Amino acid sequence: MMRVFALCLMVLPGVTLAQTPVQRAVDVHILPGFQALAQQTGALKAASAVGCTDLEAPYHQTFDAWMGVSHLRFGPTEVEDRAFAMAFWPDTKGFTPKSLSALIADQDPVVRDPALFAEVSVAARGLFALEFLLYDDRFASGDTYRCGLIRAIAADMDRIADDILADWTLSYGSELTTPGGDSRYRTGDEAAQELFKALSTGLQFTSDTRLGRPLGTFDKPRPNRAEARRSARSLRNVLLSLASLRDLAALLSEGHPGTAAELDAAFDRSIALAERLEDPDFAGVTTPQGRFRVEALKNSIDEIRAITATRLGPQLGVAAGFNSLDGD
Amino acid sequence: MKSALLSTAIAAFALTAPALATAEVSKADVLANYSDIAAANYGDSVTTAKALQVAVEALIATPSVETLQSAKAAWLMSRVPYQQTEVFRFGNAIVDDWEGKVNAWPLDEGLIDYVDASYGGPTDDNEFAALNVVANPSFTLSGNEIDASQITPELLSDTLHEADGVEANVATGYHAIEFLLWGQDLNGHGTGAGNRPWTDYAQGEACTHGNCDRRAAYLKAATDLLVSDLEWMAAQWAEGGDARSTVTANEDAGIVAMLTGMGSLSYGETAGERMRLGLMLNDPEEEHSCFADNTHNDHYYDGLGVQNVYLGQYMGADGTLVAGPSLSDLVGQADPVLDVEMREKLSRTMLALGRIKTAAEAGFAYDQMLERGNLGGEALVMGGVAGLIDQTKSIERAVVALGLDQVDFEGSDSLDNPDAVFQ
Repeated sequence: MMRVFALCLMVLPGVTLAQTPVQRAVDVHILPGFQALAQQTGALKAASAVGCTDLEAPYHQTFDAWMGVSHLRFGPTEVEDRAFAMAFWPDTKGFTPKSLSALIADQDPVVRDPALFAEVSVAARGLFALEFLLYDDRFASGDTYRCGLIRAIAADMDRIADDILADWTLSYGSELTTPGGDSRYRTGDEAAQELFKALSTGLQFTSDTRLGRPLGTFDKPRPNRAEARRSARSLRNVLLSLASLRDLAALLSEGHPGTAAELDAAFDRSIALAERLEDPDFAGVTTPQGRFRVEALKNSIDEIRAITATRLGPQLGVAAGFNSLDGD
Repeated sequence: MKSALLSTAIAAFALTAPALATAEVSKADVLANYSDIAAANYGDSVTTAKALQVAVEALIATPSVETLQSAKAAWLMSRVPYQQTEVFRFGNAIVDDWEGKVNAWPLDEGLIDYVDASYGGPTDDNEFAALNVVANPSFTLSGNEIDASQITPELLSDTLHEADGVEANVATGYHAIEFLLWGQDLNGHGTGAGNRPWTDYAQGEACTHGNCDRRAAYLKAATDLLVSDLEWMAAQWAEGGDARSTVTANEDAGIVAMLTGMGSLSYGETAGERMRLGLMLNDPEEEHSCFADNTHNDHYYDGLGVQNVYLGQYMGADGTLVAGPSLSDLVGQADPVLDVEMREKLSRTMLALGRIKTAAEAGFAYDQMLERGNLGGEALVMGGVAGLIDQTKSIERAVVALGLDQVDFEGSDSLDNPDAVFQ
């Protein structure tokens, strides 16, 4: 990043410099994404205050907004486990139903105090806890405590979304765009690497986790492991994540038209495959035909990952670095 | 005046002489020392596992409070060298492909033996979460009738381990053995670890919870398997072994493997999966050694392993120090300031992990630190997490400083996808 920047300075003295891709990403991708999220959680909180029925629409709108930013897992989302509290998934050991059952069984008064509720297990907070309460037969029947729990979750999500947005607006945006000095980013390359990691990790998560988990193996497909299957939005999440990652990829590849075109075409192929899938919760992975189509989608995302790693990374002069998916 | 000048000259000479005398450290030297450390560290893992094997045989031959206690003590000692080897996992495919046999976690322990009613039965994710092999000499697994009348190492490794393709079906390794020695920790966030009675291994009338002969056979099979699996890995790092020849074959790839192991263990695995997740879930059993309550040591020795690899030093179980050319030397040649930064951060992490260990050994167990609203516990655990995340940033900088960020043998995703380096 900075090398290109410096070069511009030399050849175009006196000309106002174009924004760096990092600056543009903050302005047109990151901040609008978190603004949309805060707006939707606000609407969800307001709707839950009115009543605990008919919350499906604001739930879906909030989830949609989350998919626009769920790959931005650094800085403000990682403070106080905010992103985990917003969306705890995958839940390999069934912590969400277990924690919700425990709160309900104890009629735990923690739901009446927002500060205390912020200390509750992340598994009992956020979108996936709300999904259980709205869509799972074990939790969907109405009583007073359930409604209080829903309100506590909605208010907690709104607080978190506001906090993330405030951090981005007040400090983190400028930290990312003005490296050096007190910034945790020493150079422009480190800032660019952060966004590059968000892109590559986001693609990895959608391929390996959102699609890989329900695919399981040929002998043992695992449709029950699909993300947000209870509200039938597993495929929608894949589509929305691809749309948002495409947006970020386009910003990062701006100065490299060849790579930008390649990435754009690869995203086109993936999105077209996803749009033709017509399998909202990936239940089709149990049939050979359905499985084949989900695998084709996964492979197409892996092609985007390959272009990102072998073309975009070197052109930006950054390496993938470490991410939270390293390990088991 | 003259003598003052002379002493200045001597001082100047003393300051510059070591730098002049020290030859540049090469990547080959660093990789050779790294392999020596791995060989010594896995060697110690074998030695201490064999001591565990002797103690387990004594427990089975003459079950008593004392022999059970000795076996537990041997298990705890065996974890000290083993946890330090975890830093070899992520960069080295040969280790990563193998480690699930010996250190898989977390596990649905009901696969193996009896559990408390609060454990529940089969789950969405795992139909065999409560299979209880100790109590069932035959059962159906994925449509096949399984004869488990003889509990052998082969039954554990070939049939039960990851049964039905579920990773939580952990039938072998340290944590299966841990469960067989301690039993479930039913104390929640309260004081105490698992409290399996020694009579679970008593034969005849004194046997508690049934099938003591089969339980003993399971424990022996799992321990024998642990020893043979560790022996195999130690051999891979000896002169001429596959792990050593792979990591030394391509110097840049080898150094990337070292840094990948350090970064992945620090960040995704220890800081994320093992520390932060348990805290976020407030679940007392979401800790690495949940039966024995030894998690503070798991994290501490994982952190020490990372520091070992950077400093090129390993303190053996018999007091032998293996030390030689290190990553620290290499980074120091390229960017002395970064080398200081990295050593400081590794030390700070060890201080933070040491505090967790100190508090735990004084009675504030790791599972108590995870309790909802326990601010002291949260600060302790997050101190370790923050240190591990912070050092990962410097590990990434080291990759850049050593010119390995654009190593083109497998693209720039080498750090993100360690396996790719060796495909």
